[in-house]
Amino acid sequence: MKLRHVILATALCLLPLHQAAAESKLADFPLAERIKAKVAAGQPLDIYVSYHDVSNEFAPFMKAGVARAAAEDKVNANFIGPVGADADGQISEIETLMGKMDGLAISSVSTDALAPLIDRVLAAGIPVVTFNTDNPDSKRLAFAGQDLIQSGREAGALMAKTLNGKGKVIITTIDAAAQWSIDRENGAREALKKEAGIEVVQTLNTGTDPQKIYSAIENAMLANPDIDGILSLECCSTPAAGTWVERNKASDKVKVVGFDLLDQTVQLVESGNIQATIDQAPERQGFEAVNLIVKFVKGETIDNLDTGVGIYTKDNIGEVTKK
Amino acid sequence: MTDTVRTGARAPAMDRFSLPGLLRARETGVFLALVVLCLFLTFATDGFLTSVNLLNVGRQISLLGIMAVGMTFVLISGEVDLSVGSNYALSGLATGMLIIAGWGLVPALAVGLLTGMTIGLINGVLSTYGRLPSLIATLGMLSVVRGSALILTNGQPVTVNVRNGADPGVLEIFSFIGQGYLFGIVPMQLVFFILIAALAWVVLSCTNFGFRVFAVGGSAKAARVSGISINSVKIWAFVLMGALAAFAGILSLAFLPSGQAGRTGLGLELDVIAATIVGGASLSGGEGTILGTILGVLIIGVMRNGLVLMGVNPFVQELMIGLVIIIAVGIDKWSTRRRGA
Repeated sequence: MKLRHVILATALCLLPLHQAAAESKLADFPLAERIKAKVAAGQPLDIYVSYHDVSNEFAPFMKAGVARAAAEDKVNANFIGPVGADADGQISEIETLMGKMDGLAISSVSTDALAPLIDRVLAAGIPVVTFNTDNPDSKRLAFAGQDLIQSGREAGALMAKTLNGKGKVIITTIDAAAQWSIDRENGAREALKKEAGIEVVQTLNTGTDPQKIYSAIENAMLANPDIDGILSLECCSTPAAGTWVERNKASDKVKVVGFDLLDQTVQLVESGNIQATIDQAPERQGFEAVNLIVKFVKGETIDNLDTGVGIYTKDNIGEVTKK
Repeated sequence: MTDTVRTGARAPAMDRFSLPGLLRARETGVFLALVVLCLFLTFATDGFLTSVNLLNVGRQISLLGIMAVGMTFVLISGEVDLSVGSNYALSGLATGMLIIAGWGLVPALAVGLLTGMTIGLINGVLSTYGRLPSLIATLGMLSVVRGSALILTNGQPVTVNVRNGADPGVLEIFSFIGQGYLFGIVPMQLVFFILIAALAWVVLSCTNFGFRVFAVGGSAKAARVSGISINSVKIWAFVLMGALAAFAGILSLAFLPSGQAGRTGLGLELDVIAATIVGGASLSGGEGTILGTILGVLIIGVMRNGLVLMGVNPFVQELMIGLVIIIAVGIDKWSTRRRGA
């Protein structure tokens, strides 16, 4: 897969995170005595990286980043998490492993459900950072990942530009109630609202099953034949939207902007059925999740880290396929 | 004793062809509900009653329908299969991986179908000779099979195309199976659903096996005394279910043409069971028809399609589909009690 080889658009990497700066210093943190002893003895730290769904498409790339950080930082990094977005499962697993962990990086299934646990882990003297999906309600030390609202703004701006500031748009998402989706949707709507000629007709909640995603888009397009653009908020309705455009030979009329670099998405960008897609560098997110904890325990001051927004169109998608 | 069992299972089927029989049939209530729903959507939306939309609905319900046909056999036999969504994912993805690996279409399809049938066989053996309630056995298999699919694919999407290694000739036929149209009009998925439903109707209504499925689910004791091998009938029902779940999974991959083990068919078992129950099949066994199942699948499919056409809030859509399932089954149970009174 080409994702891990993607070179992000460096200018866009400099986008600021919308979260307030969150500098964290070891001097201000009551590090557990057993972790202090381990550091003093030069023993490798046991860091756990809990991802919200280890069965999704991005987990292998996150895991690869975690493994890279483990090798470079000389720590034991364990990639854990529930199969399927199961908040109870994620909580139980972390509670079980709490006594063994010297650091936790977490991407929460649910912000509300996980925030108290994150605070409990911190209270036990174990450093916690968030990655991929932030948990701003908790007292986490720092966040490494894409600014979701900003990435939504980027997607909205791309759609507005593609439609020359005029047209009707449908927003698609596999889980309209998820925090990441709400953030991206808010960002996208904010950007689209800047163009008076753009109207967002509806947000389509497609569900996660590929057949259901395609059927939902098919139904929505039939119900709204005057749609000019489909803005997908995630990996999985993006190729479905592109496939619908391809099969209905509608690339001249309906423009698609979406997220991520699944194989099918890359091919649909190449063929002109998707106009732009935004990457979020999952391998780097996994790497930075571990690296932030190691830096912190070693005494470095850490802060939120934006892993960037990579924009790919027909003009530069070759960078992905070449690698 | 054999006659007692046979009469109990077959008599309603014969009576159904008379007008009074039609009016008394279990499916009549579901059919009327479907008609009311369609009439409402025809007036409430612009695009419902168009050939394009109706063919879309036909295609969208086909995979659910194929699996619901299999579930009808399992439910009538007095069992339930919760592993169908996972089976759908594993069998389809395994077939796709073999095509990408350069296999021919026939051997890849054969392996996919055999995978599904093997899962069905295991479900059947665990639920009969293993003496586990099928609810528990297939719940366990749901996780076993889903986990196997994740291990097999390493969580990565499986996209069947030439770039990933599929033979162009094989891909052309595979794509036609999932994406093609018969006579340029009727989606192939719908064609397969109609063929499978027709065949299943014949098997359930006109063959000795169909009679035995009803007998085993209606009264296991009576069936045993009649010399019917209960375990054998139930195992075959599970194997049939497994084969149909696998076939639906293969069709899904041929249509999209990409799937992912963590998402494909996730929670599909609930849709399949709901559609079958809405169609009149009983969770306690011995009751159900293929026609009823088709109507149940249509109600759920038309409902999903109509709610999107009406632009209903996505969260409200979920609520309404749940309500429709409860109301449809409630009406069915009420009318059954009335008939029995």
